[in-house]
Amino acid sequence: MKFLVSVALALALLTLESVVVKQAGLELGRIDVTVVLVAFLALRATLLEGAFSAFCVGYLLDLMSGQPTWLFTFLAVFVFLVGRLVPTFVEVRGALAFALFAMAADVGHSLLASFFTWLTVKEDGPGSLLAEMPLQVALTGLAALALFPLLRRFEASQERPAGLLR
Amino acid sequence: MWSLLKRYYRPLFVGFLLLFPLVSFLLGGSKGRGTYFVDRAIIAVTSPVQQGLTSAIEGTVAAAQNYLDLRGVRQENDALRLENLQLRAAVHALGESRMENARLRKLLNYAEAEPGPEIPARVVGVNPVAKLLSVRISSGEQQGVFRGMSVVTPDGIVGQVIRATGGYADVALVTDPQSRVAVRVQRSRARGTAAGTGGGPLRLENMLRTEDVEDGDLIITAGTDGIYPPGVVVGRVTNLEKKEHGMFQGADIVPAVDTSKLEEVLVVGSPYSAMAPGSTAEGASK
Repeated sequence: MKFLVSVALALALLTLESVVVKQAGLELGRIDVTVVLVAFLALRATLLEGAFSAFCVGYLLDLMSGQPTWLFTFLAVFVFLVGRLVPTFVEVRGALAFALFAMAADVGHSLLASFFTWLTVKEDGPGSLLAEMPLQVALTGLAALALFPLLRRFEASQERPAGLLR
Repeated sequence: MWSLLKRYYRPLFVGFLLLFPLVSFLLGGSKGRGTYFVDRAIIAVTSPVQQGLTSAIEGTVAAAQNYLDLRGVRQENDALRLENLQLRAAVHALGESRMENARLRKLLNYAEAEPGPEIPARVVGVNPVAKLLSVRISSGEQQGVFRGMSVVTPDGIVGQVIRATGGYADVALVTDPQSRVAVRVQRSRARGTAAGTGGGPLRLENMLRTEDVEDGDLIITAGTDGIYPPGVVVGRVTNLEKKEHGMFQGADIVPAVDTSKLEEVLVVGSPYSAMAPGSTAEGASK
């Protein structure tokens, strides 16, 4: 169920973002909505369900980028797997902690994306690709804050009360 | 073997999910992958939503703008009427020149390349990845748009179609870091390459130091890359760097088209490449 919700939400958010960016102009910083979803999956989903959901969410971002290369599919699964390690060291509880967690995930995601993009483009340094990162990470943190109640609600709707016969 | 697979199927499956895209990217990432059936299905679902949202937003904005525009419309009408007279005179003069040009070409048996079709399209969305600059337009294979065709506006060059599906296509902008366009200085006919930098001005490359180029020169497409038709405006030269040593000089090109505020575009067929489904376009992008 988390898989379906994640994929549907990713599709809706990416479509909405593409229209909003078009209306506001390309200068507008992008929001890594898929990283927010992958961060949530890393905290709440099982290994198999989360990895497959992250794969699909990354695939969607890859597809919506217009120039799909499998890079964002790989990065989504990678961020999910690294993100699963974080709760063993730090407790991530509440909207603010989740926003910080998503921002940290976005930093890693952006650094890796810039590095791999630089590997293929090989023009200028990766630094020029990182110029927009602070704004992007801040916007992603805000998106995480806004999406957290919605994601929690979806999760709560799937939890079955303990003690009932199944 | 079976028991091993059964025991380790979780790490094996997750490992596959991680390594398959990585290996695919490393082996052919720079060229990009093809369009699968599932891609077409997803685009067929999301693109009408994008178009609907875009139309709704633009309709609302236009309604508000129309009301504001009514103010001072009479003075503007007078100015436009005057301008219209001047333009009609200019068009008449150009028509004469065009006919004379055609007669002279005929006399010289000059073989002219057939211009390709011009397919209008609306921009319905922008891709959500900041590092790759592309937009989605509302014309695709059904309208005769295929990968490799160039996209322009009356002001100048916009980009190149990188993927076309049923009724939609994705266009890589000239400002994308992977974009390369063969260009020429209109005044001196000097040739070079316009490279995308990821936003803002383009970079003029491969222009020999001895070539005649100045700040403010108009840059047009050369048509030698097999993608863009010749003579389309790219932009104007600025920040010219003439070095003492080295083979090349550098400069920035301010694009003639503000790609961040695109509304309608024209997809034009390249006169050089076959415009068929599955045709590739290697010329303008690395």
